[in-house]
Amino acid sequence: MKEKDGFIDYPDQQIILYVEKEDGQYGPIQTGSYLSANFMNDFLHKRKNLEAGLRGQLIAGKISPVRFYMVMEDLTLQELSARSGIRQSRIKKHLDPVSFGKVTADELNHYASVFNIPAANLLQVTLIFTNDEFQSNVILENKAKNISVTQSATQNPYVVLTKIEERK
Amino acid sequence: MAAHCESGTLTSLLNYAGLEISEPLVFGISSGIFFGYFHKTKAFSFPTFIVRNKPGQMRKNIEKRLGVKFSTYTFNSPDKGMAKLDEIIPQNIPTACQVDFFYLDYVPSWERVHINAHFMTVIGKEGNNYVISDAYFPTIMQLDTGSLEKGRFAGGNMSPKGFMFHCKTIPQTIDFESAIKKGIKKACFNMLSIPIPFLGVKGIRMFAKKVVEWPEFARDTEHLSHEIMKINILLEDQGTGGAGFRFIYATFLQQAAEIIHKPQLKDLSQQLMIIGDGWREISLFAARIGKNRDLGQEKLRQLGDMIHDRADVEEDFFKNLSKAIN
Repeated sequence: MKEKDGFIDYPDQQIILYVEKEDGQYGPIQTGSYLSANFMNDFLHKRKNLEAGLRGQLIAGKISPVRFYMVMEDLTLQELSARSGIRQSRIKKHLDPVSFGKVTADELNHYASVFNIPAANLLQVTLIFTNDEFQSNVILENKAKNISVTQSATQNPYVVLTKIEERK
Repeated sequence: MAAHCESGTLTSLLNYAGLEISEPLVFGISSGIFFGYFHKTKAFSFPTFIVRNKPGQMRKNIEKRLGVKFSTYTFNSPDKGMAKLDEIIPQNIPTACQVDFFYLDYVPSWERVHINAHFMTVIGKEGNNYVISDAYFPTIMQLDTGSLEKGRFAGGNMSPKGFMFHCKTIPQTIDFESAIKKGIKKACFNMLSIPIPFLGVKGIRMFAKKVVEWPEFARDTEHLSHEIMKINILLEDQGTGGAGFRFIYATFLQQAAEIIHKPQLKDLSQQLMIIGDGWREISLFAARIGKNRDLGQEKLRQLGDMIHDRADVEEDFFKNLSKAIN
């Protein structure tokens, strides 16, 4: 690849690309990601659709919160089991919205740690009103212009501190 | 910045320790170039492929072939793993850590995926934050203790177990000619001779054949579109230097030709650059059909044919490379 063909103007995601320079030597250039520069909107659109579809099923009681995050984070049953330390047979039960009721607080914390969310978020859905619609805070890019929602851990492993504040 | 996290991290540690070496040389000497296709595994929710050797193998090969020594550590306890890092960092020893990419807060959320094989270098600590040099980011980043600990001690496939390493000794003299030849021979073996049907050139052929079956694994068209477009990410964006490491390996061959005085390697580097352009066409084709949701059997067969063509040219290429080095 020639150097002139490799350059993409996209500062938000920079990569190193090896190209043929004008003197015939091969070497690195710092450039933008072609995919992000040209297809980012499509990528985010699909992600938002996936989240909205799963959220609809979650709210309708068709899937459990564990299934919701497992699909969102592209984890297999085996991976989730290895990461959470919870047996696969037990996770299978927790994928069902009714059997999810048998989950223990300790297991919730294990799941939450893998999903990198507060355990409380496995029992609630938080929506932010922005761009004329309610959007999920699972997608961090869904930030309201005038409201900020932050969640932080506390000394109590089962309690999360949620702060909702006006942006100045 | 560097093209790839592992070769980039190794290069920066070696440079810091006083050994002048480029990332392409590190990549080539460590036999980084590879191909593997995984159609059905319990670890991945969808068929996928790799274009580099096993994570951690680059460091092992560099140690073996250059005679460099690294101090390496793994831990059963996160507390001990973080304490050891805190003991080393104040001594001004940059230390590479293996982490799950998902827990790195400085990565935009849409880029975060659970991959336990990311390498980055911890270069300092300010308060509760570690100062990070990450090959994929143009500026120095900061990461809080909790996130780093989660990343270092994530479970699952290729769990890092707190793995970290730093440079211990660099030998007085290094036989680069021998290291380069060994690196190339092993790469040729990996691409041509491993008797497993989904690895090396055979793996590229399996990918070409199986990609038409991908719709069977997809939840819906948007999911299939996402996975097809990930071909572009795996070949271009996920730290390969372009064309699934083919461009950086071509650069290695050009540099190696000068070092070991073998002009045939320069010709081969030009051939590989052209082969890489073909991989890039596949990336762009995959991105385009994914974006347009043009994912019928005919288009997937076309994609498969393009991939199959890469298998044929790479088989010839690695056979010629093997002859040139023997």
